[in-house]
Amino acid sequence: MATTRLLIAALGGEGGGVLTNWLVAAAAAQGLKAQATSVPGVAQRTGATTYYLEIADADDSATDPVFALMPVAGDVDVVVASELLEAVRMAERGFVVPDRTFLVSSTHRVLTMHERIARGDGARDADSLMQAAERASRDRFLTDFAAIARKSGAPLNSVLLGAIAGRKLTPIHAETLRNAIEAGGIAVSRNLAGFDAGFTAASCLERSPDAPGETPAASKTPVSTALEERVRALPGEAREIARIGVARLVDYQGTGYAARYLDRLAPFADDGALCREVARHLAVRMSFEDIIRVAQLKTRASRLESVRREIGISADEPFELVDFFKPGIPELADILPPRLGRALNSWAERKGIRETAHFGMKVKTNTILGFGRIWLLAKLKGWRPRSLRFAEEQAAIEAWLELVSQARAVSPDFALQTADLARLVKGYGDTYRRGQETYARVVEDMVRPVLAHKNAVEDPAAQLKGAIAGILTAPA
Amino acid sequence: MERTFENEIGLLRLGAGETFRGEGILAITKGLLQSGVSYVGGYQGAPVSHLLDVLVSARDLMGEMGIHVESCANEASAAAMLAASINYPVRGAVTWKSIVGTNVASDALSNLASTGVTGGALIVIGEDFGEGASVIQERTYAYAMKSAMLLVDPRPNLASMVDMVEHAFALSEASHMPAMMQLRIRACHVQGEFTARNNVKPAHGTNSKFSEPADFFYPRLAHPPVIYSQEVNKVSERIPAARAYIREHGLNDRIAGTKPSRLGLVIQGGLYNTVMRQLGEMGLADENGTPDIDILCLNVTYPLVPDELIAFARDKDRVLVIEEGNPAYMEQQMLRMTVDAGLSTRIDGKNYLPEAGEYTGEVLAAGLGRYFLENGGNILDLDAIRRRMERMEKVRAAAGALLEAPLPPRQPTFCTGCPERPVFGAIKLAERTVGKVHVSADIGCHAFGTFAPFNQGNSILGYGLSLASMAAVTPMQERRSLAIMGDGGFWHNGVQTGVASNLYNKGDGVLIIMNNGYTSATGQQVIPSSKHSEIFGTGAKIATTLEAMGVKWLRTVRTYSVETMVKTLKEAFTTTQKGLKVIIADGECMLARQRRERSEKAQALKEGRRVEQAKFGVDAEVCTGDHSCIRLSGCPSLGVATNPDPLRKDPIAEVKQDCVACGLCGEMAHAAVLCPSFYRAARIHNAGWFERTLHRIRTRVIGAMAGAA
Repeated sequence: MATTRLLIAALGGEGGGVLTNWLVAAAAAQGLKAQATSVPGVAQRTGATTYYLEIADADDSATDPVFALMPVAGDVDVVVASELLEAVRMAERGFVVPDRTFLVSSTHRVLTMHERIARGDGARDADSLMQAAERASRDRFLTDFAAIARKSGAPLNSVLLGAIAGRKLTPIHAETLRNAIEAGGIAVSRNLAGFDAGFTAASCLERSPDAPGETPAASKTPVSTALEERVRALPGEAREIARIGVARLVDYQGTGYAARYLDRLAPFADDGALCREVARHLAVRMSFEDIIRVAQLKTRASRLESVRREIGISADEPFELVDFFKPGIPELADILPPRLGRALNSWAERKGIRETAHFGMKVKTNTILGFGRIWLLAKLKGWRPRSLRFAEEQAAIEAWLELVSQARAVSPDFALQTADLARLVKGYGDTYRRGQETYARVVEDMVRPVLAHKNAVEDPAAQLKGAIAGILTAPA
Repeated sequence: MERTFENEIGLLRLGAGETFRGEGILAITKGLLQSGVSYVGGYQGAPVSHLLDVLVSARDLMGEMGIHVESCANEASAAAMLAASINYPVRGAVTWKSIVGTNVASDALSNLASTGVTGGALIVIGEDFGEGASVIQERTYAYAMKSAMLLVDPRPNLASMVDMVEHAFALSEASHMPAMMQLRIRACHVQGEFTARNNVKPAHGTNSKFSEPADFFYPRLAHPPVIYSQEVNKVSERIPAARAYIREHGLNDRIAGTKPSRLGLVIQGGLYNTVMRQLGEMGLADENGTPDIDILCLNVTYPLVPDELIAFARDKDRVLVIEEGNPAYMEQQMLRMTVDAGLSTRIDGKNYLPEAGEYTGEVLAAGLGRYFLENGGNILDLDAIRRRMERMEKVRAAAGALLEAPLPPRQPTFCTGCPERPVFGAIKLAERTVGKVHVSADIGCHAFGTFAPFNQGNSILGYGLSLASMAAVTPMQERRSLAIMGDGGFWHNGVQTGVASNLYNKGDGVLIIMNNGYTSATGQQVIPSSKHSEIFGTGAKIATTLEAMGVKWLRTVRTYSVETMVKTLKEAFTTTQKGLKVIIADGECMLARQRRERSEKAQALKEGRRVEQAKFGVDAEVCTGDHSCIRLSGCPSLGVATNPDPLRKDPIAEVKQDCVACGLCGEMAHAAVLCPSFYRAARIHNAGWFERTLHRIRTRVIGAMAGAA
């Protein structure tokens, strides 16, 4: 029985239907009997959908085969998936089995809604998905097809067709598959480029490298030698993070502020792992994003460069850039002196407008006036240490550091988790305020009681770690 | 229209002997032309939308053949169209999605079935059952039984389906019963081939009109006193005539098994391929569909033909009836027939096969396997069956154990830049001050609001029925309730069942009508208020219609301006003004708009005109990775990326390259005061001299400032 049973798993709108049509047309061109079905149903916009084909070879095509209309667990020869999670979904439904199925799949991920809405990193662990895909398949060709498609400027489905041809997964000759693209008449030149890229990738088994990330500008600021000495005095594990922290804070406020960072870090220098995590969170908390910091980040030369790269233009091409700012009473009070800021906040609270009064601004940052306004705001950097927000943040940081050092008495791991609590406080406006409330609640419920030995909680570090993870993955 | 159909229309012109290659639903359309239809109509709905889409696009072919084509307002008007076949010897076909379309059409169908038809009347039913379905799971079979209509359930290959189209018309004329042809989702979309026959120009049609109307003939009316004789006529004349035709033309396939056995299968035609494949996997059939045991494959599942079934069951100990879904209508009828005929044959069915759910390959493998192991002892190779069952169990167990936690689902959602997504974001924001409200949801793209991240909707009662299904909720809620309806659902029935009824009963509540210009979920078909259609559309305005009906509180809001929508919603929920409040959420379906604008932009680029190509983006260093923007927007192009900041672990938000710059993520972050991470950047093609010079000056000044920052 040499009829190839092939199942395509694709995301709605990714051209799975066109890929199916190419295969059906190519089979007909070669005089092979074939059948294809799909369940497009309600506009499968970006939802997961499948296309199922059965392609008879020359011998079977001479007879009168009865083709099945749907894939059956354990009976599928080839599964072609346009995305890694969908490949594993096919295995989860039994369509990829170790004693039969050849799996072609892209290794790139398109996160599902459930993974994207988590407050932290909600994505399924990529390695475990890869292992599941490898464990479930008889043989496989897994590579980043999306990267190949991007490089060849072609849509993903033509690259997949090239891979199917390259690994000879159907009775259809590679040349016939390629001609089907021409006959199909849809963006022929781009699709042929995609086909050839997929074909070469499949036939010589090279795995395409992932695109390297670039390190942000802030951590490239030069660091004075005095500070560099003090960083080198820290334990090896924490040195790299501390160096980035120092560079960040010099850029953020100045060398004095960076020195204060190292002073605060010193008490933890005897525990390498704890020192590294405190160094990480301390640098982030000390460089809190008030309006001044946002203005500084938005008016940096490297930022304009990254915007140009995002829309694919060179320096001399004109472009428009609009930034969205909506400072309210809290943001204004933040940069006022503490006494004045607190007065404004309580006045606004009494008037009940603290949360509602906002000054919406859509600033044209590519114009001189627009850029200038934000640039001036960034100039308030010198004033920041005298602002309400600065005072409140330093107090919160001191309280947090005190908590971490007390937690060391319980266990090094409990201290690490207490330090990690800082991850809960992030964002702007009421997201930031909700983060502070969550942080305060966890401290009251799960840290203070342990410190006060009131109730001997069994393995407090693990419980704290679980709480933090739970908060970060459960969407608000 | 989502898809253009030039080459499909070419297929409809194929003549005798030529090979048609394409989808099932298209083959059915060719079958209609080969049967000499005079008129075709229907309402769009997966999986049959393409039938009507193609005919609507094939205007000149329809004109040549004198076939009248209508895109009906809903399935009731489509069913009523079949009345043409009562008085006149003209063949007609309509199509819709079932069970929901059949429900809407049922009153017209009952009247039609009572009077009976002169010309063949065929309803092409897309049975939206099983994987890929989007509606409640019920069987159309019930309608065939209670109204005495023919139900054809052909083997799902193009040749059989087209033959059965032609037979269905003849059977309808032979029995005067309207015929329904049931096509499951995969049969509609199956790609295969068949040898075409010539199209048949109808004797009467738009090119060859009747000079005189039919003369008055009372029995053709569904009205007393003839309603009584009509009912008797169904059982005394029509069903017997249908059975005679089915027997004479051998519409049902009696497939003899190669090994004589005391077992037999009676199956629905539509399940033939799945049954034959599973028998093959157990070693009980070869790849070409020759089984070891006898099979009676029913291409016409109503009416059943008693003597055919009794002849099949007479020399058997047991017969297994394989009919998908519940209740087991066919099995129950066969039980009665065999008892009346005094047979001792045991009729099995839902005792071996699941009572509900789709009969997939896995389901049939398990059911058939158990049936043969328990009853096929003497003549069948039980080892092969046991091996097959064990393997299926091993595969199922291994798949179940593959992962510790099940994978997250990937449901369909609003397209990138959809005009309806911002409305659900605005509702979420409005509820922050107004409080949670009861939401009566509906069918259409806006039903995606019932999925994450919006999770809104307390009930769905069917297409266009959101406002009507809130009638008794609003009076019992302190806070006003909200109904969400598409412009498709509005014209389908919502204008009457919802708006008219609410106004007439001096009701209250808030209604949002998503005015995206099409029935977008089914493929952007045209509706009365569509602007961009040369064929249809009366240019009717929803706003003026509502005002004429007496709606006092009416606002039209462009959906992308989230703040205005939030303000309007708050006002609607809190105003002291009584009566129905309607918000028309204006925004063209982005898929349709992109298709139109992409060609306009390409043209402008070619002509060297100034073109702006905008995109939204996120400043990686400003974003802190909280993703509240994603929870409020949920746009597919708003994803997450690894955080470039080595000090932070949580991934940051990222706008992908397929962004169409509808502006929602920016507007949402702005309206909800989330964060200043978003920006809108627009590349300018073919910029003028002045713009380029201004840009050079700006770059120098800003460069200096940025350098000093």
